[in-house]
Amino acid sequence: MILNLLVGLGVALFGFVLQTGLAGFNRKIIGRLQKRHGPKWYQEYLDIFKLLSKKSISHGWIFDFGVIMALGGIIGTAMFMPLTSTFLAFENYDNFFIFVYLLAVGMLGMAMSASGSGNPWASIGVMRALTTMLAYEVPFMIVVLTIIKISGTSSVAGIQLFQQAAGNNWFIIALPLGGIVAVLALMGMLGKKPFETYIAPAEIASGPMVEYGGKQLGMLFILHEISVFIEVSLFVHLFLGGATNIFIFIVKYAAVYTFVNLISNVNGRFKIDQVVKFFYKWPLLMAVTQAVVAIYFGWVI
Amino acid sequence: MASIEYLILFLVGAALLAYLLSKFNKTAASIFTIFATMFVFASLAGYGFGMNLVETVNVLPGFTFAQTYLGFYFVIIIVFVYLMVSFFHPYYIDTYKYKDSYNFLFLLSLAGIIGAFYTNNFLQLFFFFELIIWTTMFLIPLGKSREAAVTYFGFSVAGSMSMLLGIFMIFQQSGTFDISAGLAGISGTNAIFVFALFLIASFSKLGAFPLHIWLPIAHGNAPHPFSPVLSGALVKLGAFIGVLALVRIAPATGLFTTINLPIGQYIVAVLGAMSIVFGTLMAIKEDDAKKLLAYSSMSHGGYILVAFSLLDSIALAGGFYHILAHALASAGAFMAIAAVARATGTTKMKELGGMIHKMPITYLAYLVAIISMAGIPPMGGFISKWLIFQAVIDKGLIFIAVAVFFGSIGSFLYVFRPLAALFLGQELTEYKKVKEAPILMLIPTFIIMGLNVYTGVFPAGILKFINNIISELGFVPITITTFEITGYNGILNPAVISLVFGVGILVAFIIFILLKKSKKVTLMDTYTAANFVHDEHLLHYTTDFYAPLERLYEKQSNWMTKFYKALAQKVKDIGKLGKYLFMSRSIGTTVLWIIGIIILLLWGEVL
Amino acid sequence: MKSTKFTPVTKLSKEEVDRKWWEIGDFFRRNSLWMLMYCTGCCAIELPPAMTSAYDMERLGMGPMATPRQADILLVSGYLSLKTLRRLIYTYEQMSEPRFVVALGSCPINGGIYHDSHAVINQLDQYIPVDVYVAGCMPNTESVMNGFVDLMIKIKNKTAVGWKNYHKNFEWYKENQLNSLGEVVVHDEFHQ
Repeated sequence: MILNLLVGLGVALFGFVLQTGLAGFNRKIIGRLQKRHGPKWYQEYLDIFKLLSKKSISHGWIFDFGVIMALGGIIGTAMFMPLTSTFLAFENYDNFFIFVYLLAVGMLGMAMSASGSGNPWASIGVMRALTTMLAYEVPFMIVVLTIIKISGTSSVAGIQLFQQAAGNNWFIIALPLGGIVAVLALMGMLGKKPFETYIAPAEIASGPMVEYGGKQLGMLFILHEISVFIEVSLFVHLFLGGATNIFIFIVKYAAVYTFVNLISNVNGRFKIDQVVKFFYKWPLLMAVTQAVVAIYFGWVI
Repeated sequence: MASIEYLILFLVGAALLAYLLSKFNKTAASIFTIFATMFVFASLAGYGFGMNLVETVNVLPGFTFAQTYLGFYFVIIIVFVYLMVSFFHPYYIDTYKYKDSYNFLFLLSLAGIIGAFYTNNFLQLFFFFELIIWTTMFLIPLGKSREAAVTYFGFSVAGSMSMLLGIFMIFQQSGTFDISAGLAGISGTNAIFVFALFLIASFSKLGAFPLHIWLPIAHGNAPHPFSPVLSGALVKLGAFIGVLALVRIAPATGLFTTINLPIGQYIVAVLGAMSIVFGTLMAIKEDDAKKLLAYSSMSHGGYILVAFSLLDSIALAGGFYHILAHALASAGAFMAIAAVARATGTTKMKELGGMIHKMPITYLAYLVAIISMAGIPPMGGFISKWLIFQAVIDKGLIFIAVAVFFGSIGSFLYVFRPLAALFLGQELTEYKKVKEAPILMLIPTFIIMGLNVYTGVFPAGILKFINNIISELGFVPITITTFEITGYNGILNPAVISLVFGVGILVAFIIFILLKKSKKVTLMDTYTAANFVHDEHLLHYTTDFYAPLERLYEKQSNWMTKFYKALAQKVKDIGKLGKYLFMSRSIGTTVLWIIGIIILLLWGEVL
Repeated sequence: MKSTKFTPVTKLSKEEVDRKWWEIGDFFRRNSLWMLMYCTGCCAIELPPAMTSAYDMERLGMGPMATPRQADILLVSGYLSLKTLRRLIYTYEQMSEPRFVVALGSCPINGGIYHDSHAVINQLDQYIPVDVYVAGCMPNTESVMNGFVDLMIKIKNKTAVGWKNYHKNFEWYKENQLNSLGEVVVHDEFHQ
C-alpha cells in the first residue's frame, strides 16, 4: 500500500510538471498566433513559484483550511489517474465516478474558502462555477454511460484496453456525436472561453480568486494545473484510446490541449444563463440520441 | 429479555408520565424523555440485531408481532434519530405554545413506529400508521400554523385511506389479514390495483412527485428539533410501504422489453426521476433553510423510489444504504439549522451571515452532512449513489439516468447555498453576541458527524446486514469483502479512497506550512475596487443566490401548487352544489328528497 | 537586457546579500511581474500598446491581474487628484508583499503640467514609496518598457525596497498623508 501511495504521488507530480510546461508552451503558441513573441516556455513555473514566495493575507481559519482541503482533494484524485493502459497506482480502483466526485471535493473546498473571505464577488464566482458545472456534467455523463455500457467496465484503464483491442475503434470515431459533446464538455470543465464565466476578470474581478494572494493563490494555481491534467487525461483515455506507452500519451495529451486552447482563443465569453441554455439544447439532445442509438440499436462504428 | 409489546406499553406509559411531569417542571420532563428513548434504543440495539426480541403478546388483545430484517432495519434507524433529537428538547421547550403535550406526543409517536414495523397483521399496520399520523399532526404546528396541519393531514389521510382500500382488497382475495400470507395470495388484476393503491400511500408519505405539496409547508413550520425526525425518519414509512408494494407484490404487468422491466415498475421509476428533478429545481430557488432541506428530502425520496423499482440486488442494496445515509445526513443538517435558529431566531438565509466565526462546530456538522447529502466521497452518500448508478447504467435506462445525474450534480448547488449565505460571508452586526450551542446539543452533533464518516469509510458491516434483508426479499445478495464492493462494471474500495484523500491533504498541508505565514486581516478589509464600505450588509451576498439559473424556470415553478389549489376549489364547488341541491331553503324540496330516498331504499330493486 | 539610462545603477555590498533562497526568490519575482490594471490619469493610454502585440509585455513575463491582492506592481499612470490619492493609498496597503510602484509621466515626479492646481498633489514620493519613475508627458511606449526593464534590474540588485521603506518610515508617510488629505478612509454620508 505504501508503494502504491508513493507511485500515486509520483503520478500527481508528473501530471503537474507536464501540464505546467505545456501551458507555458501554449501561451507561446497563442502569442505567435497574435503576431508577437510570447513568454518563455517555462513562464508558468515562474508564476507559480513567485506566488509561493510572496507574503499574503488571510481572512480566518476557513480561508486557509478550504485551500488545503481543495488541493488535497485534487492531489488525491490525480493519484488514481492511469498514465497508460498498464501503469496506474491503484489497480482496479480507478472508477470513473471517483474522478467526477473527488473533483467535486476540490471545488467544494475552493468554494468554501472563497466564500469565507467575505467578498461578494467570490460568492458570485462560485455560484457561476457551480451553475456551469450543472450545465456541462449531465450531457458528459450520458455519453460516458454509453461508453461504460458498451465496454462493460467503468474502470478507466479497462476502457483503454477495450479500445486498444483489435477490431474496436477509438470512441471518438465509434460514437461521433458523443465525441463532439465530450469536446464541448471538456471546454466547459477546463473553464476555457466561451465557458469562462466563473473567472471572468472584467466582470466579476476574477471571481473566486478575488481575495487570494501569495501562497494561497499559488496553491490554487497548482490545483488548477492538476485538475486540467485530470480532465484532459480523462478525455484522452475515454475517447482517444489511451496509450500503451508514455510518449504516445504525451503526444495525444498535447494535441488535445492545444486544440482546445486554439478554439477557445477565438471566442468571446457567454453569460451564465446562455451557458445553461446552450448545454441543455443541442449537446443534451446529441448525447441522448447517441445513447439511444448505441445501446438500443447497437449501431456503433 | 426485551419484548416488543412491553416496549410499546412502556412508551405509552412514559408518554403519560411525561405529560404529568411537564405540568410541574418542563425541563425534567424533557430529560425524562431522553432517558426513556435511550432505554428503548438500548434494548432494541441489544436484542434486535440477532432477532432476539420476544414476540409473544400477553397483555394487548389481538395484536401479533413478527421480526423481520426489513422491519428491524427501519426501526433501528428511526429510533436512533429520535434519540439524537431528544437531546435537543430541554432547550427548545420554552418556545412552544402548548408545552405540556410535546414530550407526550413525541413518545407516543415512537410507540407507533415500533408497532408499525414489527407487526404482522395489515389492520394493525393501519392502526399504528394512523397513530403516527395523528400524533405528528398535532406535533407539527403546535398551535402556530393551521395550514401546515391541514395540508399534512390531508395528504397523509389520502395515503392511508388508499392503503386501507388495498388491505381490504387483499382480504377479499386471500382471506387473511396476515402480511406474508396476504401478499403471497394475491394475483391477477387485483394485484395491479393493490399495487397502485399501496403506491399512492407510499408516495404521499415519501413526498414524491405528484403528492409533494405538503413537504415544504410541514417541514418549514415544524418545531426546530422535530424537523430532523420528520425528514430523516417519518418519510421512511413511505419507503417501507414502497418496498412492500414494489418488491413483494411486483405484479406481472406487461414487460417493457427493451429494458427488461415491467411497465408498472418503470412508471414508478419515472415518477421517482421526476421527483428528483423537481425537488432539485425547487430547492435551488428556496430562501428558507428548512424548506430547502425539505425539498432535498423530496429529491432523495425520489432516489429511493428509483432504487427500489429496478428489481435488482445492487439497486436494492443502494436503496437501503441510501435510507441510512440520507437519514443521518438530513438529521445532521437539520440539527445544525436548529442550533442556528435557536441562537438567532430565524432560518431565512437573507437575514443571516457569518455564523462560522461564532459557531464553528455547528458549521463542521453541517459541512459533513452536506458532503454526504451531495454524494461526495469519503462520506456515506457516495456509496449509495455509486450503487444506484451501477444499477441504472447496467439496465441501460437513459432518461432515468439523465434525472439521476441531474439530481446528483444539482444537489451541489442547493446544499452550498446555506453554507455560503448562512455560515460564511460577512459577519452581520446584529449577531455579534451569538454563542456556540450548549454541550448537551453538541453531543448528538458529534455522534452524527462520526457516523456520517463511518458509513462512508467502512460500509462492509452495514452492507452485510443489508444482504440479509435482500435475501429475505428473495434476491441474490451482493458481493462484498471487508473493504471492497463489487458492482456490475467496477469495484469500489471506500477505505482506499479515504486514505488517498487523507494523504493528499497531508501533502497540501506540508506545502502550506513550509511557506511564509500570512497576515491576518478582518473580513471588511476586502477588495471593493477601492470604495470605502463600512456596512457589512452591503458586502454579503445571499438574496437570490442562483438568480441567473432561477430566471430560466421561474414561470413554471408554481404549476403544481396551482393545480392543487384548483383541485381544492373544485371540491368546494361540488360541495356548494350539493348544499344547493339538498339543503335548500324551501321546505318542499327537502320533503321531495326525503320521500324519493325512502322510495328508493324500500322498493329500489323493483325499478 | 541593457538599460538606456546614463547613470550606472548602484549595487549592494556582498555581505548584505547573504541569503541564497532570497536570490532565487528574486529570480522568480523579477521574471513574472503582475501589474494591477489601475489607470489613474492620461498616461494610461500608453498601456494598451505595451500590453498587446505592438510592444508585447508578456515576453518579459508581465501580465495584467484583476485585484490588488494578486498583483505585484501598482502602476501610477498620470496625475493624482486628492480623491484618487485616497483610493490609491487604500489599494497600495491591500497589496501583498513584496510590492513595487512604477510611476509613469512627469506628474508624480513634480506635478507636471498640473503643478499649480489646488486639487492635485505634486510629489508622489511623499505619500507612498516609488521604485521607478518614467519621465515624459507622456512617455513613449518604448520608455515605458524600459522602465519595466529597469525595475527588473533593480529587483535583481536588491535595490527595489520601497515596500520595506514604507514599513520603516510608516509614521512619516502617514503624517504626510493626513496633512494633505485629512483622512484616508472616508466616513461621510455617502459611505455609511
